[in-house]
Amino acid sequence: MSVPLGYYLMLGGVLFCIGLCGALTRKNAIAVLMSIEIMFNAAILNFVVFWYYLHNGALTGQMFALFAIAVAAAESAVGLALVISVYRHYRSVDVDEMKALKG
Amino acid sequence: MNIVFLTLSAIMVLGAVLAVTLRNLVHCLLALVVFFLGIAGHFFLLKADFLGAAQILIYIGAVAVLILFAIMLTRNISGTEGGRSSLGGAWWLGVGLASSLAGMMCVFVRRSELVTKLPYGATEEGVVKEIGKLLVTDWVVPLEIMAVLLTAALIGAVVIALEEEKKR
Repeated sequence: MSVPLGYYLMLGGVLFCIGLCGALTRKNAIAVLMSIEIMFNAAILNFVVFWYYLHNGALTGQMFALFAIAVAAAESAVGLALVISVYRHYRSVDVDEMKALKG
Repeated sequence: MNIVFLTLSAIMVLGAVLAVTLRNLVHCLLALVVFFLGIAGHFFLLKADFLGAAQILIYIGAVAVLILFAIMLTRNISGTEGGRSSLGGAWWLGVGLASSLAGMMCVFVRRSELVTKLPYGATEEGVVKEIGKLLVTDWVVPLEIMAVLLTAALIGAVVIALEEEKKR
């Protein structure tokens, strides 16, 4: 396999921006969380890509990606619990309606 | 360029775009699963087989099901509340910001000397045993911290989700 590193980096960047676009434009809090998952995965892909292209026989990059996956899983569990809590409170998961702290 | 890389990337980008644009949240989730599978495929392609398996187990097995539960619990299957913001200007602002950032990233990657870098030497197949050994030797402290973090997240998620019912 001989794909140069640059293409993988561009792929990661494009995926991150797709996730960013979703996080900025979606109204549903669960959809925003899904977009954040896309951004997380783009970052993890970048970890693995840099490991594959620049490692010196060490597995540090893979371990880093593994821990990043675990942190992302914890984040999504807490995030979805928050969404459910917000839904109980407001009867809606629309991020535009969560304005109790609005000044 | 490698045909497998191109196909996988095209499927993945399509999945990601559908996941952020479709109006029905369950359809979004299915597109997201396609995206996760594409990422796992890329991990296998990059000889990180353990990570690929972990990706499938954690993301498709756990996170996707968790999101599905959240969608069901918040009764948004019809997707009437999902979809785009009603403000046309704000929507285009988000898309414009993200696409300009993507363009800038591509330009910077093209300009750097990393762009033509080829993989480092021969990567040995099957590093699962090695990862297992490292996890209980050099990486045992991060592993334990991760265990504490996951326990805290588990308890936190339960407490947050139960809070409202206790008050009333």
